Amino acid sequence: MYFEEEEFSTQFNGQTIRRIGRLLIPHWKWVVGFVSMIAAVALLDSIFTYISKLIIDEGIVAQNIPRLNQLVGIYFSLIFVSAAAVFGFIYLTGILGERIRYEMRRDLFNHLQELSFSYFDKTPVGWIMSRVTSDTERIAELITWRLLDITWGVMSIGSSVIFMMLINWKLALVVALIVPVIVIVAIQFKKRIIVQFRLVRKMNSKVTGAYNENITGVRVVKALVREDRNMQEFDELATSMYKAGYRAAWLSALFLPAVQIIAALAMGAVIWYGGLQARTGEMTIGGIQAFISYLVFMLWPIQELSRAFAEMQQAIASAERTFSLQDAKADVVDRPHALDPGTIRGDIRFENVDFYYEKGKPVLKNFNLHIEQGETIALVGPTGAGKSTIVNLLCRFYEPKEGRIRIGGLDYTGLTLHAIQSRVGIVLQTPHLFSGTIRENLRYGRLDATDSEIEIAAKLAHAHEFIVETDKGYDSEVGEGGNLLSVGQKQLVSLARAVLANPDLFIMDEATSSVDTVTEALIQQGMDELMRNRTSLIIAHRLSTIKRADRILVIEGGGISEAGTHAELIRQRGHYYNLYTNQFRQELGRQYAVA
Amino acid sequence: MRNSKYYSNLDLKKTTSSNRLAGMWRMTEGFRLTYLAAIASLALAALAKTLTYLIVRNLVDKGLAESATTPIYYFALAFLGLAVFEASFTFVAGKMAARTSEGIVLRLRNYLYDHLQRLPFTYHDHAQTGELIQRATSDVDAVRRFFADQGVQLGRISLLFGINFITLLLLNAKLAVQSVMFIPLVLVISIVFFKKIEELYGAYQDQDGHLSAALQENLSGVRVVKAFARQDYEIAKFEGENYQKYQLGKKLLLGHALYWPVTDVICGAQMLLSFYLGARMAIAGEITVGTYLAFASLVIWLIWPIRNLGRLIAQSSTGLVSYRRVADLIDEKQEVLDKGISVSHSGVKGHVVFNNVGFAYNPESPALQQVSFEAKPGEMVALMGSTGSGKTSLVNLLPRFYECTGGQITLDDIDLKDYAKHALRREIGIVEQEPFLFSRNIAENISYGVDRQVSQQEIEAAAQAAAIHNVIQTFPEGYKTMVGEKGVTLSGGQKQRIAIARTLLKDPRILILDDSTSSVDTETEMQIQSALDKLMQGRTTFVIAHRVQTVMKADKIVVLKDGRIAQMGTHSQLLEQPGLYRDIYNIQNKV
Repeated sequence: MYFEEEEFSTQFNGQTIRRIGRLLIPHWKWVVGFVSMIAAVALLDSIFTYISKLIIDEGIVAQNIPRLNQLVGIYFSLIFVSAAAVFGFIYLTGILGERIRYEMRRDLFNHLQELSFSYFDKTPVGWIMSRVTSDTERIAELITWRLLDITWGVMSIGSSVIFMMLINWKLALVVALIVPVIVIVAIQFKKRIIVQFRLVRKMNSKVTGAYNENITGVRVVKALVREDRNMQEFDELATSMYKAGYRAAWLSALFLPAVQIIAALAMGAVIWYGGLQARTGEMTIGGIQAFISYLVFMLWPIQELSRAFAEMQQAIASAERTFSLQDAKADVVDRPHALDPGTIRGDIRFENVDFYYEKGKPVLKNFNLHIEQGETIALVGPTGAGKSTIVNLLCRFYEPKEGRIRIGGLDYTGLTLHAIQSRVGIVLQTPHLFSGTIRENLRYGRLDATDSEIEIAAKLAHAHEFIVETDKGYDSEVGEGGNLLSVGQKQLVSLARAVLANPDLFIMDEATSSVDTVTEALIQQGMDELMRNRTSLIIAHRLSTIKRADRILVIEGGGISEAGTHAELIRQRGHYYNLYTNQFRQELGRQYAVA
Repeated sequence: MRNSKYYSNLDLKKTTSSNRLAGMWRMTEGFRLTYLAAIASLALAALAKTLTYLIVRNLVDKGLAESATTPIYYFALAFLGLAVFEASFTFVAGKMAARTSEGIVLRLRNYLYDHLQRLPFTYHDHAQTGELIQRATSDVDAVRRFFADQGVQLGRISLLFGINFITLLLLNAKLAVQSVMFIPLVLVISIVFFKKIEELYGAYQDQDGHLSAALQENLSGVRVVKAFARQDYEIAKFEGENYQKYQLGKKLLLGHALYWPVTDVICGAQMLLSFYLGARMAIAGEITVGTYLAFASLVIWLIWPIRNLGRLIAQSSTGLVSYRRVADLIDEKQEVLDKGISVSHSGVKGHVVFNNVGFAYNPESPALQQVSFEAKPGEMVALMGSTGSGKTSLVNLLPRFYECTGGQITLDDIDLKDYAKHALRREIGIVEQEPFLFSRNIAENISYGVDRQVSQQEIEAAAQAAAIHNVIQTFPEGYKTMVGEKGVTLSGGQKQRIAIARTLLKDPRILILDDSTSSVDTETEMQIQSALDKLMQGRTTFVIAHRVQTVMKADKIVVLKDGRIAQMGTHSQLLEQPGLYRDIYNIQNKV
C-alpha cells in the first residue's frame, strides 16, 4: 500500500490551464447553462435585498399599503424563479461533474490497458491509483463546482456593489475599495490554511502507514517484543499529527472571524456615514439596512472565492500529473497492418537479439536461439542472468532493442499483440489471482470454458485436490490478490488457469517453486502430457523439474553458455554439472556419512 | 500497563457504552471544561450578533431622528465593538473545540495503536488489515468531526435559534410565533431528506471503494492481464463499476437538486410572510420601524440555519456509527504480556519438553493431538509433514502466540504458561520463509529486535554472519537504504538473511526456522544455509523442514501427519523404516 501524500508544484502553468479548459469544450452547452443559472441566482439575491429596502422605504416609512402588497407580490414570484434557477445549477453542474469524472476515469483506464510493461515496472501502483481516483476528482471539481463558485462569487459581489451604487454611490465606493482588500487577505489566509491541512494529510498518511505496518507485521512485533518501543515511536508521530491538526483547526477557525472584523470596519463606516446622511435625508433607513445586508452576505461569496482560488493550485497540480499519465506512450504497440495468423505454432527464432531495461546495462547481447515447434526447453542459471527477460521478450511484453524474433518464420512485430499474447500460457513464480472465486480465476484462462473443462484443467495441475478440500470447493473466495490461499495453492491455480487457456506456447517461470515435493512430482506427470507437441519453456531452480526437457539451456551473463539434454550436459562436466552436483552433493554426502 | 501514559492513563475500555451518546460523553473526560468553554463562547457570539441588530433598531428609532442627540459614531463604534466581540468568541469557540477534539483523538489513536499490537493472534487471524486501519483512521476521524464540527455547528444553530427566538418574543410575541410557523415543516423535510441522502451517499462511497478495488486489482495483476490478453474483458469490468458510480452520483445529485430549491421556497415564503406581517404592523403603528428592521434581520438568522440541521443530524449519526465501530474494537480483550515469571537472559538453558500437547483453533477440528517429544538444550529438531499437518501450529505454541488446549509444554522444567509472555518471547527467535521487514532503513531493521542502543559495528557483524553484508554494501546508501516502496525491493533470499541478522542480534536461546529456500537459486541457497548454520550454533532449534538435506543434520526428526506425530527419530533411523519419511526422501532423490 502506498500512503504518501503528493507534493504540489507551486507554479501555474498556462498550458495546463488551457488543457483543463479544453476538457469543457465538448460540454460547452452545459457550462453555459450552469453559469447563467448561478448568475441568475446571484442577481436575484441582490434583487431580494433591494426589494426589502423598497419595502421599508416605500411601504413602511411611506405608509403605502398597495405599494407594500405589490412589492411582496413581486418578491413572492421571484422566490420561485430563484428556486428554479437553483434546481438548474445544481442539476447541471452536478451531472456534468459526474460525467466528466466518469469519462476521465474511463479514458485513463483504457489508456492504462495499452501501456507496456516498461511503464508499470517504473511506476508504483499507488501513484497510478491516485491519478485515476483523487486527481480526476479534483479536476472535475475545479471545472464544475469551483467554476460555479467563482461565477457566483464574482456575480454576487458585482451585483451587490451595483445595487449599492444605485442606493448611494459615495458610500458604495468606500465598500468597493474595501472588498478587494478583504478578498486578497482571504485568499492569502486560505492558502496558508490549505498548506497546514496538507501537512495534516501528510501526517495522516504516515499514521496510517504506521498502523498498517503494525498490523501486518504484528507477528514480528510480538515475536521481537517491540510493543513498548513501537508505542513510544508512534506517540511521537501521533503528537506531531495532533500539533498539525490543532494548528490547522484553529487557523481555519480564525479565518471567518478575521474576515468578519475587516468587514465590520466597512459596516461601521456605513453606519457612521450613512447615519449622518440619513439625518439630513440623503440616505433612507431602508438604504442603511440594505447596505448592512449586502455587506453581511458578501462574506459568503468572499469565502467561496478565496477557497476556490486557494484550491485551484492544487487542482492544477492534479491535472499536470494526470496529463502526464495520459501522455505516457506505450512502447510496445501494434504496427500498422499487423496481422493475426490465427496461430503461433511454428519454430521460434531469436536472431541477434540485444536487450536492456536501462541504457548501459545490457541484459541480452547478440542472443540467438532456435526453438523448434513442439520442443520443451528448460532455462537454468543464476538470478539476473536473463532467463525471465527471454520470457518477457518471447511474450512480447518487451521488444528487442536490436535484432528480431521470428515466430513461424514471421518477424513477430508484424503480428498483433493480441495474436501472440492470447495464445501464450504463462505461469509466474509470484502468481497473481483476482478477488473472486477459484472458478472465476480459473475461467480467466478461457472465458467460455465450461465447469467440467475447468475441473479437468484443475485436475491436470493437481489443484483439484486442495480445491475440493476448501469450504465451498470451486466457489470458495480467494481474497484480494488471492491472499486467502497459500503461495503454493496460488501457483497451482495459476497453473491450472494456464492449462485451461490451451495455449500454443506454454511458459512456466518458477511456476511450482512453493509447491511441496510430492505434489510437484505429480504435476510433472500431468505436464508431460500437456507439453507433448506444444512448444514449452520452463525456468526452474529445482533441477528435478527440468531434467526431462528436450533441451536444457544454461543462461549466464545474457547468453547461452551450455545447451543439450540432461545426459549430454552431465557428460560435458560444465556449469550445469556443477549446479546439478552442488545441489545434491551435500545431502548425498551426508547420507553416506550417517549410513 | 506501561504504555498507558501515552493515553493519559485513561483506560478507554471503561468509557465504552452500549449507549453511543453516553460513550461519546465519557470519552470527553479531561476535556469537558474546555468543551464547555467552547459552547459558552458560541453563546456569547450568538448574543453579540443579536445585540448588533438591536443597535440597528435603536439607531433607526432614536439615532436618526433630526432631534436625536446621541452622536452617530456611538452607534458605529458599538456596532464595531460587538462585531469584534462576536468574531473573537467565534474564534475562541473554534479553538477550544479543536483542542477538545484533537486531544480526544490523540488519546484514541495512541490507545488503538497500543491496543492493536496487544490483541492476541486469535484476533488478528480473523481481522482484516484494511478493516482495522479504517477503524483506527477514518472512524477515529469521524469521531473527531463529531466533536469539532457537528457538535459545534449543532450548538451554534441551536443557540442562534434560541437566543434570536427569545429576542423576537420580547420584541413582539405574536410576530415571533408567526415567524416560526413553517420551521417544523422545514425541519422534518430536512431530517427525512438527509437521512435518504446519507444512504445514497453511502452507496456512492461504497461504489467508490469497489471502483478503487477494481482498479487496484487490475494494476497489480497487470502482468496476468497482458499474459492472457484480457484487456477487453478488464475494460468491460471496470466500465461496469465506473458506470455504476456515475449512475449513483446522478441519483445523489438529483436529491440535492430537489431539496435545496424546495426548502428555498418554503424558507423564502416564511421569511416574506414575516416581512409582510411585520410591515403591516409597522404601518399600523403596532411596532416601530426600528423594531421591524431588527425583526427582519433576526428572522433571517432564525430560518435559514434550520435547513442545515437535517444534514448535521445525519452526519452526527455517522459519527455515532463510527464511535460504535471504534468502541467494538476497544472492547476486544488484549493478551497479558507481563504477568508471570521473568527470567534473566543468561538464565534460560533452552530445554523444551512437549508433554501430550493438544491444540485446536476451533473445538471441532484439532490441529495437534497428543504431541510429546523433548528438545535438549542446543538440539536441533526438524519438523516435517505436508501442508496442514500441524508444523506451524506446533511452533506457534512456543512463543505462546496461541495457548495449547491440552497437555503441557515446559521450558527448563517450568510450564510455559507460568512465564511472562514478554520474557518468554525475548528468548525465542523466529526466521520465516518470507520474513516481514519494516519500512525503515536496513540498519534499523537489523536492530529492530533489541531494546538497547546498538552500535554500527554490531549491526555489521550480524550482517556479515548472515552473509548479507556484501549485498548491503552494493546499495546506494548502504545500511541507511530504506526497505520497501521508498527504497530497495529486496528478494526473498535477501529478506531472509536480514531476518537472520536481526535474530542473531537478538541472541535468543530458542530458534524457530522456516527452512524453505526453494525460491532462490542454488548459490544464494548455500549462502543462506551457512548463515543459518551459524545462527543455530548453541541454540535449541525447531526447523520446519521441506527438504531432506536440512533434515539430515537434525538431532531429531518429527514427522507430523494430521496433527499427530507419525514418526520420530534421526535420519538414519527413519530411513530404515517404511513410512512417510522414506517416501518423501525417495521422491526428492529421484532426480
